Amino acid sequence: MELKEIKCGSCGHVNPPGTQLCQSCGKMINSDYDKKKIKDVMRYDGSAIRSKTRSKSIFDKIWMFFTSIKVGVSIILIIAVSASIGTLFPQEYFIPVGVEPLQYYTDNYGTLGRLYYELGFHNLYSSWWFIILIGMLALSLIAASIDRGLPLLKSLRNQRAKKHPTFYKRQRLNLHQHNDGHTESVIEDLKKKGYKHKSDDNHHLLEKGWLSRWGPYINHTGLIILLFGSMLRFFPGMYVDELVYVTEGETVQIPETNGQYYVKNNDFIVDMYDENAGSVFDETLQNSNEMVTSNYQTDITFYENQNKDVVGSNPDLEEVEDYSIRVNHPYRFDQFELYQSSYDNSQMKSMTFQLEDSNGEIIGDQFTVNLDNPDQSYDIGEGMEVNMRAYAPDFVEIDENGALISETPVATNPAFVFEVTDGESTELSLLQVMLSTDITQDNEYSVKFVENENHWATVLTLKKDLTLPFIATGFIIFLIGLAIGSYINHRRIWINDEDGFSISAHTNKNYFGLKKELNPILEKNGYEHIFDRDAKDQNESVNTDEEK
Amino acid sequence: MESTMLSISNGLITAAFFILLVALIPLAVSIKSKNKRSEYIAITMIVVAFIMQIGYFILRWIATGHAPVSNMYEFIATFSIMLILGYLITYHYYKSKVLGLFAIPISLLLIAYGSLFSTDVNPLIPSLQSNWLAIHVITVTISYGILSMSAVAGLIYLLKAIPENEKSLRARILELIMAGIVVVLVYIVTTLIMQGAVGYSDEFMYTDQRGETMVADYHLPSLVNYSEAIPVEHVGDEQYEQADHFHTGINLPPVINSQSLNTVIWSIILGFAVYGILRLVLRRRLLAFVKPLASRADLNLMDEIGYRSVIIGFPLFALGGIFFAAIWAQIAWSRFWGWDPKETWAFITFMFYTIFLHLRLNRGYEGEKSAWLAVIGFILILFNLIAINLIVAGLHSYA
Repeated sequence: MELKEIKCGSCGHVNPPGTQLCQSCGKMINSDYDKKKIKDVMRYDGSAIRSKTRSKSIFDKIWMFFTSIKVGVSIILIIAVSASIGTLFPQEYFIPVGVEPLQYYTDNYGTLGRLYYELGFHNLYSSWWFIILIGMLALSLIAASIDRGLPLLKSLRNQRAKKHPTFYKRQRLNLHQHNDGHTESVIEDLKKKGYKHKSDDNHHLLEKGWLSRWGPYINHTGLIILLFGSMLRFFPGMYVDELVYVTEGETVQIPETNGQYYVKNNDFIVDMYDENAGSVFDETLQNSNEMVTSNYQTDITFYENQNKDVVGSNPDLEEVEDYSIRVNHPYRFDQFELYQSSYDNSQMKSMTFQLEDSNGEIIGDQFTVNLDNPDQSYDIGEGMEVNMRAYAPDFVEIDENGALISETPVATNPAFVFEVTDGESTELSLLQVMLSTDITQDNEYSVKFVENENHWATVLTLKKDLTLPFIATGFIIFLIGLAIGSYINHRRIWINDEDGFSISAHTNKNYFGLKKELNPILEKNGYEHIFDRDAKDQNESVNTDEEK
Repeated sequence: MESTMLSISNGLITAAFFILLVALIPLAVSIKSKNKRSEYIAITMIVVAFIMQIGYFILRWIATGHAPVSNMYEFIATFSIMLILGYLITYHYYKSKVLGLFAIPISLLLIAYGSLFSTDVNPLIPSLQSNWLAIHVITVTISYGILSMSAVAGLIYLLKAIPENEKSLRARILELIMAGIVVVLVYIVTTLIMQGAVGYSDEFMYTDQRGETMVADYHLPSLVNYSEAIPVEHVGDEQYEQADHFHTGINLPPVINSQSLNTVIWSIILGFAVYGILRLVLRRRLLAFVKPLASRADLNLMDEIGYRSVIIGFPLFALGGIFFAAIWAQIAWSRFWGWDPKETWAFITFMFYTIFLHLRLNRGYEGEKSAWLAVIGFILILFNLIAINLIVAGLHSYA
């Protein structure tokens, strides 16, 4: 294949190397193209496509690789297949928090699960090879669009009306007939259908919907913007995704805001559907064993810190507003959003005890120990007093000095040493969850656990995602390109009455529609229906129905 | 008031089912006869049935206060309605009757299958309480309805193009699709008989993955069961007593939904048994009996419909199944994309149709190749609509 410009023997137009059809008159000027690669010459109007023309240098080879539709489709296929593997077992972020992943996969899914984990499929969508695949897809998108889009759009812009007779024959729809002198009338009828008319002596080009040809390149551009946008997430400051844990009644600083904002959890609410609300759902709810949640809600007060710029100062909180965060109704501030994510009521808030004597008789009133900030002494009446001598919120063991050692400050496994005194004698006992041990000998009284109350904490997701505008814009451009490419048809009709009446037509898709538009006009003006080269297996009855 | 509306709504969709069933007769007649009357009757019936189905949809929406697309039955019903819509749109452009002869039975099969799930109305859990529920799901189902026409046209193409007695892989796969339809039909009939008419019900108590005690109600004899499942009997008020039920003794880990698997195994056994009997009695491939229905189809037209429905359905799917879905996911779950199984399968469906379009536009995949791809696309849609919700646990498991 020579890389020389090609001069058309018929009209004298000079075409770039690799052109198949003269860009001016449409005559075949280079039948030496690779017919395996280019199945339909008209697809890119016979223009010179780099990847199909040059194949010498390494760059040419790389270019050929990424512009190849075969390669592009293979990449898409590999991405789709590997994506499906990722749904075989849950991804790591769906398994319970705090569980050792290897153990989880092995326990739940056996050897296959272990293999799944070992191969890294538990984090498939953020694995390096998956990202590389997406990157290759992006390269393929860019290369293929430049490779084919530019020559095609260039050749479509410089169209001339005058085409060589062989160009007419080349079209799937064509017709050659005696000239009945109705050419003008056909053109007028076509113009009424929205065709733009261009003529060169008695050669005519009627065209509409050229925008359709831009569709694929617009949608590819959109996808490239989207992929670019999703990479921005890795730049600092673009993306925040954190959990904010707020116990009922507490005010906490919102992370990532440099101490500027605070949020208070006034109330956390879980509502259930009422089985007897008199609604259409009553029956369903009564038949089901489970309660159905109707609402998760955190009533918050949002504060701004007026002292944030003063280093080391106490926060000076100014109330901004009250809001109820619910699922589907996040709270927005600055570039952030707070979402209702989940809740936690596993943290104990208080424990209630009562005192019993050796006969099991209850003595005095019950008393409640606030686990976050316990009182030291409880007067339960009847002359009895209970003093708390030691307390560990998360009990591990008793050290040599008899003090209680706590693992964490969180009240998950509280233990107490209570001193019961009736004014005369005192007794000591160690109380743990589910366990009570006498410290002094032969205790008369015992402290019994009655009930506990838990904290209600809301878990909010704090989110900032500055990549959203890029991703959304990219996808909207993609959708627009897709709609343009799909819903508009590019139709061209060439007519000349130089030697009889010749007409041929081309469309990038929907030949049925084109015929449906063309045939009535031809019929009206006394011409035959246009010949369709591909309609070999024509069922006439269906076809005539069609044209109604 | 609301419950009256619900009963009317249910009545409408049932009536529409039978009207569609009957409409197949004039539709079949119209393919052979020159007379336009039977075609007119058939199309009128389909339009009436479709309007009734829309009536079902609207009344159920008013009665419950939310778009009826919130559980398995409602999804599948909506999908089957959109298949009818897809057919009517295609008919408007191409006047193809053969297409209806295949599209309508598929739609009927789907809704029959869907009605085996609970048809009760459900209140919405918090994450579903959004206008995006209606916008997202309705757009997706419309696109599914249109994309399905591509598969229906593809199926007709294959039925006509592939000789019934050919000893080839393609003929065998096509015959397998026929067998698959028999399996689904047998499944529907057995479930209706065992659950409805016979009232077969064996309860088993087992411990699920999260360690919670659950009770599975088997409507078919237990071939496979959960590990350490105990046969029980309900004695009222969440009280159970040990009982004696049939069980083969095969127990599977709680990760696998044994109850669903039991149904699947029964359907396959019974379905292939029925299929085997049919083959023995008929002495020919089932293909041979379905093929005549497609004999009048115009292959070029089927190819064109197959392509055009993808061209129209795919952008709609991208809009509803990806874009609207992402907007809602951002609002409800704080992230627009999270590789949840359902999202991933929507992505796979999306990728599949891009492959379809690129192969068709650039590599000349027309005719039979295109038809096969269209059929695969439909299987993907069904998989994402039904299997993902039932098999894989994820955020979208509302069934």
